[in-house]
Amino acid sequence: MRRYAIRRSLTIVPVLLGVSVLVFSFIHLIPGDPALTMLGERATPEKVAEVRARLGLDRPIWQQYVLYVGHALQGDLGVSIVRGDPVAGDLLRRFPATVELAIAAIVVAIAFGIPIGVASAVWRNSVLDSLARLGALTGVSMPIFWLGLVLAWFFGVQLRILPTGFRLASGTAFVPWTNFVILDAALQRDWATLADALRHLILPALALATIPLAVIARMTRASMLEVLSREYIRTAEAKGLSRRVVVLRHALRNALLPVLTVIGLQVGRLLAGAILTETIFSWPGIGLWVYESIESRDYAIVQGVSLFIAVIVVGVNLLTDVLYAAVDPRIKYE
Amino acid sequence: MRFLTLTSLAIAALLSAAAAPASGQTFVFGAQGEPVQLDPAVITDGISSRLTRQIFDGLVKYRGATTEVEPALAEKWEVSRDGKVWTFQVRRSVKFHDGTPLDAAAVVWNFERWWKASHPQHDNQVKAGQTFEYWEAQFGGFDDKSIVSAVEAVGPHTVRITLKEPQAPFLANLAMFVFDIASPKAVERWGTEFGKHPIGTGAYKFVEWKPNQEVVLEANPDYWGPKPKIKRLVVRNIKDNSQRLGALKAGEIHGMEGLNPDDVGVVKNDAGLQLLLRPTNTTGYIAFNYKVKEFQDKRVRQAFAHAINKRGIVDALYGGTGLVASQFQPPALWGYNRELKDYEYSPSQAQALLREAGHSQGLSDVTWEDGKKEPLVFWYMSRSRPYFPNPKEIAEAMAADLAKVGIKTQLQTTEWAVYLDRRKNGQMPLYMLGWTGDNGDPDNFLCYFFCQPGAAREGFYGNKPLADVLLRAQKLTQQSERAKLYRQAEQLLRDDVGRLFIANNQPPLALAKRVKGYVPHPTGSEYFNTVEMQ
Repeated sequence: MRRYAIRRSLTIVPVLLGVSVLVFSFIHLIPGDPALTMLGERATPEKVAEVRARLGLDRPIWQQYVLYVGHALQGDLGVSIVRGDPVAGDLLRRFPATVELAIAAIVVAIAFGIPIGVASAVWRNSVLDSLARLGALTGVSMPIFWLGLVLAWFFGVQLRILPTGFRLASGTAFVPWTNFVILDAALQRDWATLADALRHLILPALALATIPLAVIARMTRASMLEVLSREYIRTAEAKGLSRRVVVLRHALRNALLPVLTVIGLQVGRLLAGAILTETIFSWPGIGLWVYESIESRDYAIVQGVSLFIAVIVVGVNLLTDVLYAAVDPRIKYE
Repeated sequence: MRFLTLTSLAIAALLSAAAAPASGQTFVFGAQGEPVQLDPAVITDGISSRLTRQIFDGLVKYRGATTEVEPALAEKWEVSRDGKVWTFQVRRSVKFHDGTPLDAAAVVWNFERWWKASHPQHDNQVKAGQTFEYWEAQFGGFDDKSIVSAVEAVGPHTVRITLKEPQAPFLANLAMFVFDIASPKAVERWGTEFGKHPIGTGAYKFVEWKPNQEVVLEANPDYWGPKPKIKRLVVRNIKDNSQRLGALKAGEIHGMEGLNPDDVGVVKNDAGLQLLLRPTNTTGYIAFNYKVKEFQDKRVRQAFAHAINKRGIVDALYGGTGLVASQFQPPALWGYNRELKDYEYSPSQAQALLREAGHSQGLSDVTWEDGKKEPLVFWYMSRSRPYFPNPKEIAEAMAADLAKVGIKTQLQTTEWAVYLDRRKNGQMPLYMLGWTGDNGDPDNFLCYFFCQPGAAREGFYGNKPLADVLLRAQKLTQQSERAKLYRQAEQLLRDDVGRLFIANNQPPLALAKRVKGYVPHPTGSEYFNTVEMQ
């Protein structure tokens, strides 16, 4: 087991190296000079040359890459070209907001996705199943951008029962400790702020949860259907166990394995979806930040965030694989 | 079951706990993005300057909704007859928010910081990647390159500024947000971090900046000018235009900018909202590339001018906030030529001119000076700018007008940075772009484009008489004489059909009905101390 974990961990080194090359070259190969974008209509050739020199863009690209990776290994992701602040520090300050949102979204997706999938499989081809399948299809194909706007418009502008964006009401004096606002509010026993934070979390979490919810529901249904047709289920039923016990104890537990993998894979998608969700809901996490940085060609930030997200996705997948091996010993011999 | 009950109870509690309505003393403004930083000397963007204008004052300021200059931290001033020596009397008993006094020494200190590259508080900014871009642009450069030759405190509250030669827009330049006076003590304390801890003399004091969320300011009770009516000012960052309007309708914010043209009507028809327009300070144009042989023929350019239905475009695509432009300067500028007669929309005249120029079959291919022949590509911007809020639709409308008279263009766009790059190198035969004024001076509009005849950046357009007029106007201090020259310049530009000026836009602002006293300013940075809520 330990050998498997080590071997599996080593494989991420080339992956991350590849990712860093990709991230770096994408940003440097797309046309458009960051220096020119910064100066806009006012650019003169001398100013452009000056800015390029300042940003180190006049060096050969491989030199820029080696320098970048060298610094990144020491935790230095460079400084924002627009604001001049260190990227790594800002990244860590903003990341908790994204994590909070992503956790809320995945909780919603699991809490609704699995029961819907199970029900859909158990009452296969019923009206409920058709509705669930239709809903899942809609959910998968729904543009988050649009859904977010509709949610905010309906609950925020028409009904006025939920805020249209942000993490907290404007001008609150609350000082977070860890930037996990919900956790901080709970720790500080500031219940008003906690309620405010939860109210702000509902709409963005729903918007972000839609796609993973649909994916989980579909996966659960497929996996349950397969398990339900197995012989040991028939045996369980034959020995007179109640339907409830058969479904929940015998079928679901085995059906959940592939669902777990899917949930692991959703982490990458969630972080990508967060870019849109955070932009729509003015949620101050890394998604909104990277969106603004792409617009202003702050490639230091775009690069840093992309690399960071890649590390997280690779890390989560590694973790899933190792957990998997722990659950199912056959895997490590493959 | 118990779980379900508890959950639904909790949700009900959350939904009913409506956010405490912002009190009448807090004004929340929705901005389109995050400020870069709050040190006025090194910023160039409108989102940051909106905030710094509340926290800082300059020696002079723009009056009301105009770009005329009036006293601010300088109570009065005089200028020598040769226009080179300016003497300012600095207002007495004004204090910075950190309690240090404003005096002549503090003003001189600020000028030296902007002007001298070796000043420690200039040098450290440059090393940190910030530049004093506007000082360089408005005053000719740093150290010896600058038009400024001396800044001295000749009394405790008297500052004398000596120029190497008269600069016509000098006062208008000083009124720009970049030349607002900062507390020397605070700048020295914070260094390059001053932009996160701004200290000025303005109507509002800085309280807090929550990254990607909001900046909070509070009223300065000791303000020397009209006391602010709102106690607390919050500027929130809401990236998406529709979402910002949603927040306004939901009452979460009280004012905003950055409306989609389609939403202008929505605001007009909403009983709870009001629509304000900023006096226009921005002009969108079409530029010809003079390395294209066909465009060297004035008749062809005239044909373009007659072919495009500007009125139709402004009416259909600007959401009611646009104006037809006849010249480069927007109407609010004092160099605007009211007598100028624009080319009228007339497809038949355009066709006649094309025939005269030998293009009776129409025009679909063009020839570059080096002999290369290619289809006529008409470039439009991929990014919305104040002067062309929806460039693609506007370009399509113009291309359709051109096609009617036989000019077939291929519309093309590219990413904004590439676009600017191609423009800089003079690689586009026909393209859209525009300008937004910095200081309300006609020089700022015309000279940047037409003072260097033949520049690649301006499509190699070379009009020597025009450049001469503009350079002459730059040396005069009498506004009336200068105005005459700028009117002449617009006439020269029009007669030569150097460019096609399409439209001015008046960027719309949406406010809650109960907001009063908001005065939209052409520069886009309004003072909030006159704002109140009922």
